[in-house]
Amino acid sequence: MYRIKLSVLALVLLTLSACKKPTENIQIVIDTDVIKYTAMINVTDGTNGNAAPSNAVITISGAAAADIYELSGKKDIHLNAGMVTIGLHPNVVPKASEPIKITVEITASGYNKAAKEVVFTADQKQQVVDISLIRTGSTTPPVVTPPPPVYNTTSLTFTGRCPSRPDIQVRPSVYVYFRKAGTSAPFQYLDYMDKGYISTKLLALNETYEFQIVYGGETYKISQKIEQTSYNLTIDMPAACKF
Amino acid sequence: MAQSNTEPILNQKSIQLNLGTQGIGAEFSYGVLPNLALRAGANFIPFKANDIFKISGFNSTSHVSADFYNAHVLADFRPFETVAWLRIVGGVGYFFKANGKVRIIPSDDYKYGDLVLTDDQIGYVDLNVDWKGVAPYIGIALARTFPLGKFNVNLDLGTYYLSKPKATIIGTGLLEGNSSQTQQFQSNIKDYRWLPVLQINFNYKL
Repeated sequence: MYRIKLSVLALVLLTLSACKKPTENIQIVIDTDVIKYTAMINVTDGTNGNAAPSNAVITISGAAAADIYELSGKKDIHLNAGMVTIGLHPNVVPKASEPIKITVEITASGYNKAAKEVVFTADQKQQVVDISLIRTGSTTPPVVTPPPPVYNTTSLTFTGRCPSRPDIQVRPSVYVYFRKAGTSAPFQYLDYMDKGYISTKLLALNETYEFQIVYGGETYKISQKIEQTSYNLTIDMPAACKF
Repeated sequence: MAQSNTEPILNQKSIQLNLGTQGIGAEFSYGVLPNLALRAGANFIPFKANDIFKISGFNSTSHVSADFYNAHVLADFRPFETVAWLRIVGGVGYFFKANGKVRIIPSDDYKYGDLVLTDDQIGYVDLNVDWKGVAPYIGIALARTFPLGKFNVNLDLGTYYLSKPKATIIGTGLLEGNSSQTQQFQSNIKDYRWLPVLQINFNYKL
């Protein structure tokens, strides 16, 4: 009888030993690339290359204006730090023979109105549209920021963190800007981050950089000293966590 | 002729149908020694269920399915000559199909900003686990291997020790990135190797 009890006890213990929850520490990963055809509108003050003044207003017009949304899916489109990413409704796809055109107009007190046509084509899912504002009455042409120098390739993997939802992780697909940390230089375009991943040749070793993304009308920044060829960076993105 | 408590089981034969935690199946038993019988058989369990798997804080529906198909050879050893109703059982099974799958589909009307997303845009997450391979078995059996008359019922209580599971997570749509969680899932599931068997057998003596 003792042997029987021992056998049953052994079986129960063996079975229970596997009781770790299968979903323990597993996060739900959510992508942000709902809007596939996007354009980063980067508005700067033409006199110094800095971000457009905070009172700058963006207006979208044209036949396809109703199909334009901010990258986070909002219909409310406004600039933050002179930047906003706009794009086509996910159900609207430009055809090779029929690009979709809109006009982006920027107005700001003390500056001339500026307008630029943005064309969404079938073969180009991302584009950067730079718009420089000229002060009213100024005859000085806008400053042209030289392209940044080229270095070895560095890979950055960004994970968007939801402060209020630790069970959710965001893989951002956004336009990334950068500048050397500790400077007041204007942010320059680094590259498009696709599903959290970006590979670039614009970062120098042993330099510390500030990275900036604008998403959902909010600006998010993170700094990193570049000492190796790849980094995993976590950035708070509460605007991407509103489910 | 009736089988007495101490009657050897040598050369006795039976077939049995069974039902239990490893599904339904059939076996053939043969007494190879006075206190040892061998049985060979197969079991399968196709299992499907909805909404029995939840992820905390994430409104979703789930479709769970499990398919375990095995062929096995077991030895029934009667350790005590005077206790014919107790056997120690050991053997091995080959699970030519042993997988579990959970599909998690967000159930809310998910909005992305002002956009209402379609089911295809949202996507789903599949959690797959595969234990295919050889699995040893150990257990006990209660009641006689072979009926005293033509028919009896007996019970198996034991466990298979399955192969190390291969776990994957696959996502689609906006949930495509969840494949990055595969390593964590594999770690969580690695000890899920015991397949408990509680099985009732209906025997017919040949």
